[in-house]
Amino acid sequence: MNIYKPELMEVVEIIDETADTKTFKLKFKDTDAARNFDFKAGQFGEYSVFGEGESTFCIASAPTRKEYIECSFKQVGKVTTALRKVSIGDTIGFRGPYGNHFPIDDMKGKNVVFIAGGIGLAPVRCVIWNVLDLRDQFKDVTIIYGARSTADLVYKRELEEWKNRSDIKTVVTVDPGGEDAGWKGEIGFVPAIVEKAAPKAENSVAVICGPPVMIKYTMPVLNKLGFKDEDILTTLENRMKCGLGKCGRCNVGNVYVCKDGPVFTYEQIKKLPAEY
Amino acid sequence: MAEELLKGGNAVICEDEKGRGWKRIDSPSEVRINHNEVPSNISYKEFVFSKTEPIFYFKNRKENYELAEAADGNGKIVFLGAKPCDARSVEIMSKVFNWDYKDKFFNEKAERTIVIGVACSYKDEFCFCTSVNINPASPEGSDIFLVPLDEKEYAVRIITEKGKEFISPYLKYLTEGNAARSEEALGKIKWPGKKFEPGKVREWIGNNFEHKLFDEIGSTCLGCGQCAFACPVCHCFDIVDEECSYECGRRMKNWDACQFGLFTLHSSGHNPRDNQNKRYRQRIAHKFKYYADKFGEILCTGCGRCSRGCPVQIDIAQVAAEINSTANRV
Amino acid sequence: MNELRQLAKELLGNGTVKVIIGYSEGTTPERAKPFIARTEEDAGKLIFNKYCVNNLAVYLTRKEFKRKGTIGIVAKGCDVKAIVQLIQENQVIKDDVYIIGMNCGGVVSGFGVDDTAVKCNNCKVKTPHLYHTLLGAPVETPAKDDGHLKLIQKLDAMTAEEKWSFWEAEFEKCVKCYACRQACPLCYCEKCIADKSMPRWIESSAHTRGNFAWNIIRAFHLSGRCVGCGECERACPAEIPLSLINRKMGMVAKKEFDYSAGMALDAPTLVGNYDTADREDFIK
Ligand SMILES: Cc1cc2nc3c(=O)[nH]c(=O)nc-3n(C[C@H](O)[C@H](O)[C@H](O)COP(=O)(O)OP(=O)(O)OC[C@H]3O[C@@H](n4cnc5c(N)ncnc54)[C@H](O)[C@@H]3O)c2cc1C
Ligand code: SF4
Ligand code: SF4
Ligand code: SF4
Ligand code: SF4
Ligand code: SF4
Ligand code: FES
Repeated sequence: MNIYKPELMEVVEIIDETADTKTFKLKFKDTDAARNFDFKAGQFGEYSVFGEGESTFCIASAPTRKEYIECSFKQVGKVTTALRKVSIGDTIGFRGPYGNHFPIDDMKGKNVVFIAGGIGLAPVRCVIWNVLDLRDQFKDVTIIYGARSTADLVYKRELEEWKNRSDIKTVVTVDPGGEDAGWKGEIGFVPAIVEKAAPKAENSVAVICGPPVMIKYTMPVLNKLGFKDEDILTTLENRMKCGLGKCGRCNVGNVYVCKDGPVFTYEQIKKLPAEY
Repeated sequence: MAEELLKGGNAVICEDEKGRGWKRIDSPSEVRINHNEVPSNISYKEFVFSKTEPIFYFKNRKENYELAEAADGNGKIVFLGAKPCDARSVEIMSKVFNWDYKDKFFNEKAERTIVIGVACSYKDEFCFCTSVNINPASPEGSDIFLVPLDEKEYAVRIITEKGKEFISPYLKYLTEGNAARSEEALGKIKWPGKKFEPGKVREWIGNNFEHKLFDEIGSTCLGCGQCAFACPVCHCFDIVDEECSYECGRRMKNWDACQFGLFTLHSSGHNPRDNQNKRYRQRIAHKFKYYADKFGEILCTGCGRCSRGCPVQIDIAQVAAEINSTANRV
Repeated sequence: MNELRQLAKELLGNGTVKVIIGYSEGTTPERAKPFIARTEEDAGKLIFNKYCVNNLAVYLTRKEFKRKGTIGIVAKGCDVKAIVQLIQENQVIKDDVYIIGMNCGGVVSGFGVDDTAVKCNNCKVKTPHLYHTLLGAPVETPAKDDGHLKLIQKLDAMTAEEKWSFWEAEFEKCVKCYACRQACPLCYCEKCIADKSMPRWIESSAHTRGNFAWNIIRAFHLSGRCVGCGECERACPAEIPLSLINRKMGMVAKKEFDYSAGMALDAPTLVGNYDTADREDFIK
């Protein structure tokens, strides 16, 4: 088997999230591939535009929803620019799922706190829907999401939906100066908002993804609230090519992020050399 | 014998006459078995792990995508004249290409290889096979092992089943020899001295990732890929798309190296290894610690190629020895 | 050697320079390697002899050294050419370098060998043309055969097809390790054209097409800039005779524009200067 050869996917829906971020809904062209495909929350894939190359994105849809996969990507370079030009009905490539996943089973019966910043909501969204689709198996669910400005918020319609649900607590914030006239959410940086929302740490798991600065300043807040390092889950994002533990570029110490990650507890990360 | 070998559709790979690298030979006159001169600049890994190779083809940009498999050849790949520090290369790299997902591009070629090793009587200040558990008289990694007896005569030892099967049609060319003579020849080989204790180096790296030594040893490194590309066991690669014609393209798997600044650079500008010291640390750590931790093999055969070829004379054995002595001091 | 160590010690001691980029002994005494002296103690490790082949000017444009105060550098005449060219190209500020010029009688052609480098055979800068302090006595060496010139003449006499097959066989061996670029003092671009991906100008694959693209574009980018130090060729593990290309380009620059790279501090650079009198008929 050629591990580098992708499956062909049809782009069936495109959502413009922000000025530079889009979400694609993808369907396998091959019915067997579609039937055999299964993944877990937190895994990622390699998406390709033929002739341009491959890019790594997490699978942003939930494993509990089988008929399609979704990915959200921000335009930053070669492949993501080419992906932006793709229209509905076009074909792109996908290989995956790769990497480890969030320990959903271990999280059952616990409170779950989701903290995300910017495009970091993509991997978290996958877990959120996974949890919400099995809502009764989890205790309190809190979602704290922040972006630079209202224009940078992704998954707006879902944020609305979550806010309107009574079985979850959703806090959305934008950085000071990033609000617009009609903004009804919080204003402030994520760490401060986490401190204010003060989710309880007892019997809880925190899932946190976002820009490195946000993670850096939120960690101490979580520790202060009583979260232990082993109960804080995050993902590492090292440059990847193969996603298969072969090409050699994603390692942090003797860990291949593409194989042994991308999901790590904060406790594990602390033990790694600081090369991420 | 070489003639028949060549006729059989086998690719016979020998060191080239200038010692730059290895090449597929077309005639028996090109056979070169180098057992007493400096190893080639570049190892033979490119015949198993290609410097560039298509991993599939795609057709028609817009609709009706078609992906075509990249074809691989058949016939044996015979490495003729592999010194013990080369002979183990495929075996060592095979760990990473098979630890979980299997890389068929590597495997299909690796399965077809026959390593005809040769006992090595060369030794210079850069050789350090003995420091990484290999030695110049060792048949490890070879399917068939040659022991030079004199100018033109070799004792042929069959080491593996694969080697036995391979050589059986050619046995008529060989004559029964005297084992004692080859033992004697092997005994005469002078081994390079041991320069460091790999276990020590491994342990020290694990505990001293931020040590200031790492700020010094990489400071003159130019960040070229010579060391990695010459190395028989470095295996990093890049994946890129390119065109073959107007409506056809291919995805390529190309050598890459951790010494390049772009290797780990994110589009955002963030780079976990943002200077050459960190990149050089990765090289050392990967070879002596990470690979050993993960796959139980040192990612180095002590051939000395990277040091001989380094434009600024960074000598990997010297670096490892320095780490070893630093470890001893504390 | 003592005068070098003494001078280095003084310069580091009194703060004239922050570091000195020089040479120290390599794996054997017949091999010298680049060495960054940071302390007075380090100064004692500096050496200079015919084994000091590296062109250390390559470090002057490195981030770690750039604009970090005055950098001392041990330089042979050919290395000074590179420094001058870098100053001409505004990559190095003149006052940021302290050149310890070395009178030189030629260096060996590479590590671990004992023959004189071809570039030294007809060297015109045995005594460097720019320095702050000059060390060593001038060395007289008899002029020798210009081996490169002969080869270039041989290539010039070939037909286009013959030239193509000559270079095809050479470039075939290129592994795209970029040692040529990394060792070259004039290849300082923060983002090399070979690394640009939007669009990708040079295929990164090390096949004939990609290798031709790389080696030819590199030759273009160095024409009129290459100072002939030979570092690229020395660094190349595939032993591709890169000097022949760069020397040829240099010969064209000399013939058509009377320009020699790295010889005059205040001369405008060849490619950075437009003159209405420039001839255009060499483009065919
Ligand atoms: C596990 C994981 C999950 C990710 N999930 C998402 C996601 O859901 N949405 C999203 O927008 N982005 C995500 N990223 C980042 C995304 O992979 C890069 O932004 C993207 O590959 C840039 O590709 P490009 O070709 O457009 O950029 P270029 O700059 O042209 O890329 C060149 C190469 O750099 C690599 N690269 C550059 N930046 C990164 C980076 N930050 N991380 C990894 N590789 C990088 C890619 O391998 C690419 O081949 C994820 C990265 C990882 C490792
Ligand atoms: S160690 Fe030497 S060969 Fe390797 S990247 Fe650095 S300068 Fe190049
Ligand atoms: S690291 Fe250097 S000495 Fe070790 S196998 Fe590779 S090239 Fe040879
Ligand atoms: S040393 Fe560097 S190039 Fe070689 S295998 Fe390790 S990471 Fe890859
Ligand atoms: S191209 Fe080669 S010879 Fe010319 S300056 Fe650069 S390294 Fe020196
Ligand atoms: S140094 Fe030689 S092999 Fe390496 S990229 Fe340059 S020309 Fe190619
Ligand atoms: S992405 Fe290739 S090894 Fe991890």
